[in-house]
Amino acid sequence: METQFNSLYSVILDTYPLEGKQLTKIWKFFEHLKEGRLTTTKCVKCGKVSYPPRILCPDCLSEELEWVDLPTKGVVEYFTELKAGIPVGFEKPLIHAYIRLSDSFHILSKIVGVKSIDDIRKGDKVKLKVFDVPSIPAEIGREKINIDRVYFAFEPDD
Amino acid sequence: MRDACVIAGGQSKWGYRDATLIELFQEAGKACFDDNPNIKPADIDGILVASATSERLGRQTHLAPMVAEYLGIKTRSVCARAELLCGSGSSAIILAAGMIKSGMAETIMVIGGEKLFTPQRWETFYSQLGSVDHDWDGAQGLGLPPSLFSIIFQQHSDLYGTTEEQLAMVSVKNRRNGLNNPKGQFRKEITLEEAMSAKPVAVPLKLYDCCPVTDGAAAVILTSDSTAKDFTDKPLVKIIGTAQATESNSISNRGSWSTWSALKTAASTAYSRAGITADDIDVAQTHDCFTISEIIEYEDLGFCEKGEGGSFVEKGLSDFGGKVAVNTDGGLLSCGHPFGGTGIRQAIEITKQLRGDAAHQVENAKYGLTHNLSGAVVAHTIVIYGRD
Ligand SMILES: [Zn+2]
Repeated sequence: METQFNSLYSVILDTYPLEGKQLTKIWKFFEHLKEGRLTTTKCVKCGKVSYPPRILCPDCLSEELEWVDLPTKGVVEYFTELKAGIPVGFEKPLIHAYIRLSDSFHILSKIVGVKSIDDIRKGDKVKLKVFDVPSIPAEIGREKINIDRVYFAFEPDD
Repeated sequence: MRDACVIAGGQSKWGYRDATLIELFQEAGKACFDDNPNIKPADIDGILVASATSERLGRQTHLAPMVAEYLGIKTRSVCARAELLCGSGSSAIILAAGMIKSGMAETIMVIGGEKLFTPQRWETFYSQLGSVDHDWDGAQGLGLPPSLFSIIFQQHSDLYGTTEEQLAMVSVKNRRNGLNNPKGQFRKEITLEEAMSAKPVAVPLKLYDCCPVTDGAAAVILTSDSTAKDFTDKPLVKIIGTAQATESNSISNRGSWSTWSALKTAASTAYSRAGITADDIDVAQTHDCFTISEIIEYEDLGFCEKGEGGSFVEKGLSDFGGKVAVNTDGGLLSCGHPFGGTGIRQAIEITKQLRGDAAHQVENAKYGLTHNLSGAVVAHTIVIYGRD
């Protein structure tokens, strides 16, 4: 496939992470997303679950980590809509919610799949939504390749 | 150990500016030297420059030697840039004070600022995606903080009954205080009704709950207490206690949105180093990036009990003549917020208050405090100043 170096991809500040095993050691997180799984790393030695995923346990400094699944469904605790100063690359309505995924895990995420903030209430059930984002034209040594990317948000779980 | 003192301070005009980053620094440096004509560039042996976005928005890295050259300063002790986003200026002040107290430097200019109205304002908005954890929180569109502070307010309101009217009272007070500050971005009072009916920014936060986008710079000169006496006959304003504390940088899994444990840690550390308590503070410049921030800061700095921040402002206890005058020069809400400049602007106002020559003077102020939060309420930086 021909690599597009003149695409709309911004080399100044890219909105999304470096994905793909050529660019990051936690590439499996994004592979799991493509399977509809939200995952993170757990320390095999001390059991500490970290989010975002790591390559080093911050509690015991072990590098022996394993992937564990996080819940993909949760409940909205707080939500808001950013009306002014929406960053480029994001669309209106830009709604965020603090979501309870389990007793021990909350996530602050964008909410997609709603027409307006009036369509969301405290206590609403939401579920993981995975979507494509612009690929990265990457120089790997002398080779130029496109690395396809995905990212995630949450959407109403009707 | 010897003390570090502030012997001069000045700032550029802040707001939407017809000037580049390096021009803003020249204006601030000039205003600082003008504040104390006894000090010349040749008396300065070090410079610390505070700027968070100088590469991305000011288009300049390796900034400190450039600012030094433009201000005629030839450094011998230190020449570097400090960065902690909104806490950059105060971070540079802490580093300068440490170098002076230890004898590694004698006289340092601390100068900070930003150029945020780049040709297109959206450059600032989307560059802010890098001020939180870029890959995990920035990628959710969380770079601009109003959404976070909306959630912070909602939880504070749920737990303690804090109202949108009490938020508005913070902006009314700080806009009134800003009338005293000719260098600030806004010099226009607002009424409670105007604040309550302003357009929404991040529901339920409204326009006057949020500090603006600002171009500007500010500078102070710090020196040892012995050298200070060669340059000024005014009361010496000493840095007597500092602290920085942080909590989870990730926006997920916050223990609490409405109690800032790192602020409490920073406050108790700084008070203990200064040998004072919250009750001793006469005047404070706290980080009112949002109105709810100032309310939580009253509480977690120990000016009032937890949950009473809303009634603290409502009763006028954070105003002139109250328990502790907060944001006497207008704060971020009135002066604006060029990140690296803010902590230095706060230091200038506290210095004037403790010297006794502020535009609106707190009677007989002896102890002053500055506070910055930075990132997604991740880091808290406190500097306590005391009059000789
Ligand atoms: Zn571990």
